[in-house]
Order: sequence, then C-alpha cells, then structure tokens
Amino acid sequence: MANTLLKLSQATREVQSGSKKVALLDSINLTVKEGEFISLMGPSGSGKSTLLNCIGMLDSFTDGGYTFLGEPVHSMKEKSRSKLYKEYIGFVFQAYHLIDELTVQENIETPLLYKNVKSSERKALVGDMLDRFNIVGKKDLFPIQLSGGQQQLVGIARALIGKPKLILADEPTGNLNSKQSTEIMDLFAKLNSEGVTIIQATHSEANAAYGSRIINLLDGKIVED
Amino acid sequence: MFKNYFKIAFRNLIKNKVYSLINISGLAIGMAATMLIGLWVADELSYNSHFKKSATIAQVYQHQSSNGDVFTGPAIPRPLEFALRQDHNDNFKHIIMASWEQPRYLKFGETNIYRTGNALQEGAIDMLDIDILTGVKEGLKEVNSIMLSESSAKTLFGSDTAVGKIIKVNNEDDLIVTAVYKDIPENNSFSDMEYIIPWKYYVTTQEWLENARTSWGNNSFQMFVQINDNTSMDTVTSKIIDVKEKASPELAEFNPEIFLFPMKDWYLRSDFENGKQSGGRIENVWLFGVIGIFILLLACINFVNLSTARSEKRATEVGIRKSIGSQRGQLIFQFLSESFLIVVLSYVFALGIVLLFLDGFNNLASKSIDFPWGNPLFWLASLIFIIITAFLAGSYPALYLSSFSPVAVLKGTFKAGRYSSLPRKILVVLQFTVSIALIIGTLVVMNQIQFSKDRPVGYKKEGLIQIPVMSSEFLGKADLMRSQFIASNGAMEMATTSSPTTAVWSNRSGFTWDGKPVGFQEDLAYTEVSYEFVETLGAKIIEGRGFSRDFPSDSLGVILNKTAVSYMGIKDPVGKYLRDSDTDIENQNPPLKIIGVIDDIIMQSPYSPVKQSVYVFDTNSNGNFYNVRLNPEKSTSENLEIIEAVFKKNFPNTPFDFQFVDEEYGRKFRSEERIASLARVFTLLAIFISCLGLFGLASFVAEQRTKEIGVRKVLGASISQLWLLLSKDFITLVVIALLIASPLAYYIMSQWLQKFSYRTSISWDVFAIACFGALLITLITVSFQAIKAATSNPVKSLRTE
Repeated sequence: MANTLLKLSQATREVQSGSKKVALLDSINLTVKEGEFISLMGPSGSGKSTLLNCIGMLDSFTDGGYTFLGEPVHSMKEKSRSKLYKEYIGFVFQAYHLIDELTVQENIETPLLYKNVKSSERKALVGDMLDRFNIVGKKDLFPIQLSGGQQQLVGIARALIGKPKLILADEPTGNLNSKQSTEIMDLFAKLNSEGVTIIQATHSEANAAYGSRIINLLDGKIVED
Repeated sequence: MFKNYFKIAFRNLIKNKVYSLINISGLAIGMAATMLIGLWVADELSYNSHFKKSATIAQVYQHQSSNGDVFTGPAIPRPLEFALRQDHNDNFKHIIMASWEQPRYLKFGETNIYRTGNALQEGAIDMLDIDILTGVKEGLKEVNSIMLSESSAKTLFGSDTAVGKIIKVNNEDDLIVTAVYKDIPENNSFSDMEYIIPWKYYVTTQEWLENARTSWGNNSFQMFVQINDNTSMDTVTSKIIDVKEKASPELAEFNPEIFLFPMKDWYLRSDFENGKQSGGRIENVWLFGVIGIFILLLACINFVNLSTARSEKRATEVGIRKSIGSQRGQLIFQFLSESFLIVVLSYVFALGIVLLFLDGFNNLASKSIDFPWGNPLFWLASLIFIIITAFLAGSYPALYLSSFSPVAVLKGTFKAGRYSSLPRKILVVLQFTVSIALIIGTLVVMNQIQFSKDRPVGYKKEGLIQIPVMSSEFLGKADLMRSQFIASNGAMEMATTSSPTTAVWSNRSGFTWDGKPVGFQEDLAYTEVSYEFVETLGAKIIEGRGFSRDFPSDSLGVILNKTAVSYMGIKDPVGKYLRDSDTDIENQNPPLKIIGVIDDIIMQSPYSPVKQSVYVFDTNSNGNFYNVRLNPEKSTSENLEIIEAVFKKNFPNTPFDFQFVDEEYGRKFRSEERIASLARVFTLLAIFISCLGLFGLASFVAEQRTKEIGVRKVLGASISQLWLLLSKDFITLVVIALLIASPLAYYIMSQWLQKFSYRTSISWDVFAIACFGALLITLITVSFQAIKAATSNPVKSLRTE
C-alpha cells in the first residue's frame, strides 16, 4: 500500500460576503495517497479551484486540519509552508501563466532559482526537461510565439522541473483544442505512471476518465468519491 | 537569480517604450538637476577651503551702536593693532593689518596695468599659505617693495624674471618686486589679490593714514588674525571685546565691541542684524538644497505612480512567481533591483546632461565649477545618491506589487480596488503643490527685482560714466580735464566725487547743528563732490541750489539729501550751519553752510531706504572719480573715443579705465537676479517632470478606460464630453494642489521679502498667473491622451474584448 501524501479532515474555507459567511469548501475529508491520479469534477463555483489552491498552499483553509507528508500545514508558519510547497508541489494552470518576458528555457528554469539550485545543475535539469518534452528547438522562443498546447507543455515542464511529488492542475486543457488536449492528458497519464501524484480539476468527462479516482464536488461538499 | 531579474527588467523596459522613456527621462532630468544643485552647494560650502589654517583665521570685526541700532562691520581703527600686540599678543600667532582691496596702476617700461591688491603685514604670507614661486617669503619686510601674482607678473614681464625688477606704482613710487606668488584660486576670499604691497609702505602714501595711527575714531582699516591652537575664537573675543572702549572713553557712547569673525563664516554667514549673526548666503544654499531634493522627489513620484498604475500588468507575473515558490521578500528584492537598474541607467543619462549643461549652469550661477572626474568623494556620493534614489522610487512599488495574492491575480479576476489609486492621487497633488509653489516663488522673486529696478534712483544714470582717478598724478587736474572734455564735445558736464555714485565709501559723525537733540548720535553718508555735481548727475534740487562757481563761499557749503533733513530734524535747512565737532581737526574745519537739499539718490542698496547723506565740497580737489555726462547727441562709442583721446593726451602712460554708471547700478541686482534665473530653470524642470508623470498617468487611464470610452461612444457621447470625462479627474487634483500651494508659497515668500525694506507686495495676479498656468499646462498634457482615446474607433476597442 502506498504512503499517504496528504490528508484533509473537516477542512473548511469560508469567505466574508457582506455580513454573511459563505463556505466555499465545507468540511472536506480527503486522503490522497502517493501515486494517485485524482480528477475533481463539478459545476462552476463548486469549489474545485479553491480546493486545489488550498491544497497547493496558495490559499489556506479557515478551519479543519491539513497534513502534508505527516506535517500539519494548518499550524505552520508562512515560511515553512512555502518551503514545503516549493519542494513538493507543482502547479499547472488553465491559462498556462508563463512569464511573458522570459523565454521557454528561462521559464522552466525559474522555480530552480527559487530553490537556490546551482547554475550548472540548473542547466542540466532544464536541458533534460527540454529533451524529454521535445521542445529543445523552441527553448529561446517567448511564450507569445508558441501555440496554446506548446505553452501548456512548457507550463507542465516548469511544474515538473523541481521534481515535485504532487502536481495540481486546474483545468489544464480548458484553453486547448481536442487534439492538444489529448496530448496533454496522455502526458499526465505517463507522468502518473512514473510515480507523480496528480490532482486535476476538470469539466470534461473524457479527461476525468484519465484519473484513477474521480471526486465530485457540489457547493463546496464532496458528493461522490 | 540577479541575471533573471535584470533580464525581466530589461525586457520590460524595451517592451513598454513610452513608460520607460517617461521614467528614465524624468529620473535623468531630476537627477541631473539634483546633481547640478549638489555641485553648486558643494562649491559654496568649499569657499575658502584653499586656506589650510582657516579654522584658526578670523577677521576682526566691530559692533557699534547709535540711537539704539547696532551696526556691525569689518572696519577697525589703526591703534587697535598696537593695543592687541601690547596686551593680548599671547593669544595670536599672527596679527595682520590690511588695507581695503584697491586697484592700482603697475608700470614697467611701457606696460602699464591696472590691478587690484592689498597692503598686508609680513605674517600674511605664512597665515594664508601664499605659495611663493620665485623670490623671498620675507619680501614684505622691505618697505619699498611689492609681491606680484603669477598672472600679474606674466602680463608685466612676459617670460622674463620679475624678482628684482623695479616697477612704478600709481605713477608715484618705485617698488622692487621681491616675490611672485601663485594666483590664489577662485572661490576664496583673497582670489582677487593680484599684488601685495607692504603695510609699512602703504601707511606712508598718504598723510591721513599716518594721522590715523592714534585715532580710535577712524575706522578705515581691516585686521586679520590667526589665533593660537590652544585657544578658541570665543575665548579670544571675550578678552578683546572692550579694548576699544577702554582705550577711548570718548567713544564709549557708541558702545564699540571688538570681536573675531571666523573665516568659516566669512562667505556663508556674513549678515548681521542688530549685533547678531543672522545668516547670509547659507540661506540660499539651504533653499536650493531643498529645491534639489524636491525635484528628485518629483521624478521619483513619477516612477512610483507609473509602476503602481501599471500594477495589473505585473500582477500575473507576481502570481506565477509566488505559485512556483517565490517568497515575498524575493519579489521585493526583484522589484527593487529593477528600480535600481532604471536609476543606474538614468544616472548615466544624468551625467551626460550635467556635462552638457555645466557650462550654461556655471554661467547662470556665476560659478566656475569643473566636473569632478577625479574626485573619489564625488563617485562615492554618486553611489549613495543612486541607492537612495532607487529606494525612494522603488520601495513603495516593490511593497505594493509584491503584496498581491496569487489566487486572486491568477484567476484573472484581479482588478485594483476602488481606493488603490488614492496614493497615486496624493502623490500627483504633492508634485503639483511643489511645482506651483515654485512658480509662485519665482514670480515673486522676479516681481521684487522688477519692483526695485523700477524704483526712481534720483538721478539720470544712463549716459553717465565714471573714471577712477585714484593716483596722485590726477591731483588738481579735474578742472582742466572738465574743460577739455566739454570742449571736445564728447561730454556735456563733469564732476568729481570721493565715492562712486553707486556706493558710499565714507560715513561721518561728530557734527552739531541748531536743534540737534541731546544725545543724538548721527551717522551720515559722507561724499566729497566738485562744483557741477548736481548738474552732472541730473539730481533734483528740492530747495536751495547746487554748488556754484558764482559763489566763492560755496567751498564751505554742504548739500543734504531729503532723508538727511528729516533725519536731522532741521526746519528750513537752507542757510543753516553744520558744525564739525571732531576735536582733532576743529581748527581746520569752519562750519558748513547748507546751500541746498536734493532729492534722495540711491547710492547703496536698491532694497533699502536711502541713507541720510551729506555732500560736501571737495576743497582739496581730491576726488576719486570723474563722473562724465556723455553728449546725448553723439553715440556712446563716439563719445568714448573722444573722451579716451582727451584722457590719453593728458595721461599718456595711464590706461583708460571707466565704468558705465547704469551698469554699476545694475550689479546691485546681480545676486537676486542669479537666484531668479536659477529658480526659473529649476521651476521649469519641476513642471516638466510633473507633466511627464501626468502624461504617463493620463495615457494609462485612457488605456484602462478604452472599453468604457468605446461603450460611451456607441451610446452617443460626443468627443468633448469624453475629453471632459478623462480630464476632469486630473484637473481636480491640480486644483487641490493649487489650494495647498498658494497659502504655503504666500507664507514662505512673505518671509523672504522681509529681508528687503523696499519690497513689493505679493499681489493676487501672481496667484492668478500660477493658477492659470498650472491648469493650462495640465489640460494640454492630459488632453493629448484624452483626445486620442476619445477619437479612436469604438469598434476597434470593443472588438478586442
């Protein structure tokens, strides 16, 4: 049996809306094991993105417990939390969110800078990644010169460069056509088979089917697991 | 990491050319202005730094009071030297008696030059570290000797040896050159000293100088001292303060106080008000220092405003960086390094601007500042300057931009909040407050100068020249010269005076008259003049008449000015007598009959009331200046040619030297005009920088509201309505700035005007001009973008969504 990667218990995310408190996520209980490929489904506003952001520590739960690799995230200081996600988590966004002013190669390299990886090692790692994704020829192009699929490929490469245990993907194919979409999903499946845990939010049944586990959300609650 | 930051910064610069241009040019201009002001301030503060012993050097000054007012000045009596040497010598390393700086003719062979210099005692060479190039340091011990500056020696002797040669001074005495010294650099108190003659020789040149030896009442000399290292200026002052009062009880009523005025204060803090030191040039140093800082601040505000206004564009990058592991501190560092890059670039441009305009600036400020390439202190100051500027400009944007939450910005729903533009608005108001206050200040300075220039001077200063005739060869020649000048048709009239028309060289007391109040201590400006004084100057007779050859008794006459009549309280002055009660020379001075009263003529400061003056007939024909009224029917150059020819015929060995009286008078405005022209330049720069920022903000707002404008246009808004919509906000800000700046500037400028007793009032039109000007400039700046946005095709802007 694989190790537990993260565990949510009664995790809740509330926001103040006027005088009322609105729960975006309501008492979520979830355990994710290493090597899982989870698809989050649900209509717009059901809390998929919020859940991903909270798991990714960009946002935090307002109540409940969150342990990541056995460490209690909910009681952590900002600094150690940031260290944790820098080390173990990679993000892939629907709108790719590459830095427009940096080339493909530089975009992929950036997370390593924040991890204080040495220059020579960075070069090697980025080179490997470019090879692996077959984008060596595009390494000096800027994001705007790439198609959406290629941009997302770079986005995934950037998420993977830090060798994360967990990839969080928020509608990674939402802006792509079906052919590009399939390529990206195949890539996720391949990564998953190599041991990377993936949680993706998606509207598409077809994409969800790539996952080993499908979780349906509605109004901030898990309705089906 | 750095490389990555700079790469991004650099690519951003290239991508947003307009913003980069505004940022860099604004900062470069601001930095250049601040650097120029910095160089100017450093130059002012380094005055007299040439003298190594400046910390222990002082000039001996004197306070004297009359009728409750304290007057302070450097003029001291001769016996003070002997008293100090006898009783207080152990406090001083040097006691140096000195004459006033004065031009003399120096002649060798056929070369006759007119140079300024001083008479000094021997110790001066050591005290002032005068650098002897050839000859002997002790040269001044020889009575009939002279030391020449390197440039004077060069003019007289060319490349020949100067030392040992004999030159004729003022066409009277033969003095041997004992030494040549290196020219004293500019920006020092003795810069103009082109020769030095021995004090011992100087006191023999005229009888009154010898007579002054024992006269405590004759304040006609200067004294410089160097105190011993183990004492202080204050200690020495406390010992010598009452020397004069004790030595001459008859002068005790003037309450004379002798004190040391340290060299470090000579240039910057030389004003005294009622016996108290009250600033001086240091105020201008502060004023321009503050203006320099403000201009830099304005340029930094542009940077802050444009960076935060464009924050939405950078927000995504912040979000991405945070989501891939950047901490806030790292982002702050990134944005600071970006502003550092821009500031360094701006600095390079600023250096270029400074180099380009240094000559012009020197001209404007009457300075000769060299660019301090070789001064490590300058580069160190530059580095600190760059770092401070980078922090000033970059820290707020860095804190602001790095605060974005990644969740919000990456969702794409990020919009700066309703109040996010408030700090920007406050900064724009601050910018315009400074600019408008500078406009008002400059206008008031210019008004004050014009106001004083328009003040009636009391005589006709145009078409009048003065020829200095201070050597003995001119003695008794005045009448002859007058008739020749007039006969030559180059002049209408001529009179001699003991002071130039634009100065008072002598003040007298010790007169009595009928009705003089008991205990009244008069202080009168005293000028000796010749017969046609009133006619030559074109002064206005109010009562009586001027000196006339038809009345031989006029040689014992005196003319008062209007102020003197009311000052002395004489009713019906003409025909009354003024008696000289000075005990020393009572027998020689019979009473003077008041023959006339003239309207006040401004001889001293055009900003002060005219001093009570007496014009006494020059019985010894000893005038120091020929005042010549040129023939108005000929051109000035023709007249001058004629007069020079007549002069040369009579004094073939003397260079013809003259000044236009109106130009001499104009010099009185120089220091204020300098302030005005500097203020004008810096005000223009401040306005330009503020407008640059406004232009950037306006284009940002127009861009941000493109969609809104499109929708409004489709709904039928006219171009003028849209223009109003886009301009309104900025106009509001400028109006607020006007409301803040006006009272502020009013207060500051009223304070400034206090130092002039003849001063303009700050009238409403100054504010009207500033108000109208600021609004007009704002409208022009903002309208360019507003109209561009308003006239663009709405279909285009709406389609992009």
